[in-house]
Amino acid sequence: MSGGAFTTEEVMVCALAGELTDETRVFNGAASFIPIAAFMLARATHAPGLTWAAGSIGVDAHPRAIPESTISDRLFEGATMLQSSPSDVWAYAGTAKLDTFCFRGVQFDPYGNVNNTVIGPYEEPRVRLPGGGGMADLGCFIAVSLLWSTTHDTRTFVERLDHRTCLGWGDGGDHRDRLGLPGGPRVCVTDLAVLDFHPVSRRMRLRSLHPGVSLEQVVAATGFELVIEGEPPPTPSPTPEQLALIRQLDPTMMRARG
Amino acid sequence: MAGKLVALDEASDLVPDGASVAMGGLMMTGAPLGFCRELIKAGRRDLDLIVMSGGMNVDWLVAAGCVRRLLTAIVSFEGFGLAPNFRRAAEAGAIAIEDWSELTMLCALRARFAGVPFMPTRAGLGTDVPAHLPERMWEMTDERSGRPFVACAPLAPEFAVVHVHEADELGNARVLPKLTWIDGELVKAAERTIVTAERIVRTETFREAPERTSFPAYAVDHVVHAPRGAWPVAMPPDYDYDGEFHRRYSRAAADPAEFRRLFEDEVAPFPFGPPEWMR
Repeated sequence: MSGGAFTTEEVMVCALAGELTDETRVFNGAASFIPIAAFMLARATHAPGLTWAAGSIGVDAHPRAIPESTISDRLFEGATMLQSSPSDVWAYAGTAKLDTFCFRGVQFDPYGNVNNTVIGPYEEPRVRLPGGGGMADLGCFIAVSLLWSTTHDTRTFVERLDHRTCLGWGDGGDHRDRLGLPGGPRVCVTDLAVLDFHPVSRRMRLRSLHPGVSLEQVVAATGFELVIEGEPPPTPSPTPEQLALIRQLDPTMMRARG
Repeated sequence: MAGKLVALDEASDLVPDGASVAMGGLMMTGAPLGFCRELIKAGRRDLDLIVMSGGMNVDWLVAAGCVRRLLTAIVSFEGFGLAPNFRRAAEAGAIAIEDWSELTMLCALRARFAGVPFMPTRAGLGTDVPAHLPERMWEMTDERSGRPFVACAPLAPEFAVVHVHEADELGNARVLPKLTWIDGELVKAAERTIVTAERIVRTETFREAPERTSFPAYAVDHVVHAPRGAWPVAMPPDYDYDGEFHRRYSRAAADPAEFRRLFEDEVAPFPFGPPEWMR
């Protein structure tokens, strides 16, 4: 990416923020640095009414910085409530009172299903990953799923997952409807592009290319065939106002850790 | 009611080899690490360890060889990286891992205290989670709606171990400022509960503010005084997670000799020698 003015992570923060509205009621899980920066940026700009339950616990928190743990009490500063029981969060998410969550994994397939459990055979993994936490749950019913990945390459974007930890659009098409499940992933923001999903097949579709990234680069970095319709526009570059805010909201650059 | 106080260095006697032990805490907050150290010092082995969202607690017990089977949804040091011994033990096949999700585990605990043969949920549908845990959960179709669900069988840990700020010798316990998270469900579901506490206080302290009590004495079997008993994770507002320790631990894990030194000096001697992946 063109050096100097802004970083790839800052483009990603702005792209994710663009998916959030004044009505969004979002919460987060572990190690979610770019999403948290995006929630705070959206709230400071176009979505002042956005509600963020920090670490799924600190409702409407206004932390001074982002810590190494995104479920840490350091995030809860200024909160109006601490939702201290999983019964709170799962119930509010189950009735779409909390409606938005961001997911990341080590593998994504064409339908936005996510693996964060193992690389290689399940019984004898080459790499053991942390596991899905609440991904296998929220992926099934959260109203708005947003995916992110800082490693857009053919090891990450694969035709078949080694383990389906989090349900995206399943096998594609109307699979979620057949399971009786609402929601489904809306976008996947990567370090190269913004992808969304074809409304019928539910396969990943190229929506925009980040500044300085070519179509050929994205195609070569994706291990399956993307839906490409016409000439993809560029992802908007962060504005000076957005950049100043991001750097103020995340002074210790935790966004660089993804 | 007799006093339930047990000395920290005798607390591991409460848990036999092979027991199923569920531990509270949420990632880098509120986990009973002091109790984990006692289990290691006592050389407990073949434990079925239940940790919904863990990090250092799982990594210590796995490194020390105390764990036979791990039931978990996530083990991570978050911004400090992957939990190195959890990862290597899994890759070496040294422990059995049950890959739960948070809500299926919660449903299994609820099935236990609801006294029902399963708790249905939408969670896990369409994922690989249920197929790998056929004894724990299965897909079913509701006859009335025709819709599929995941049925979660009851999960009844023999022991719940939770860390709190204050407890009395009767077993009343409270977490301030009430970040109990999964701990509340573990205490309800477990056969016996061990509370480790930053401070032992008088029962009057609970009577003065009963609305702040997290766990009632009747549900708590043993109380252990464990100051800084969550270190190196956080026990807010008393202390933060020890980022410097997490960083050094992760760095040391790249070098077996360095890791052995750090673990034996700052955690506990290895009861069965260092793990095979650290030799």
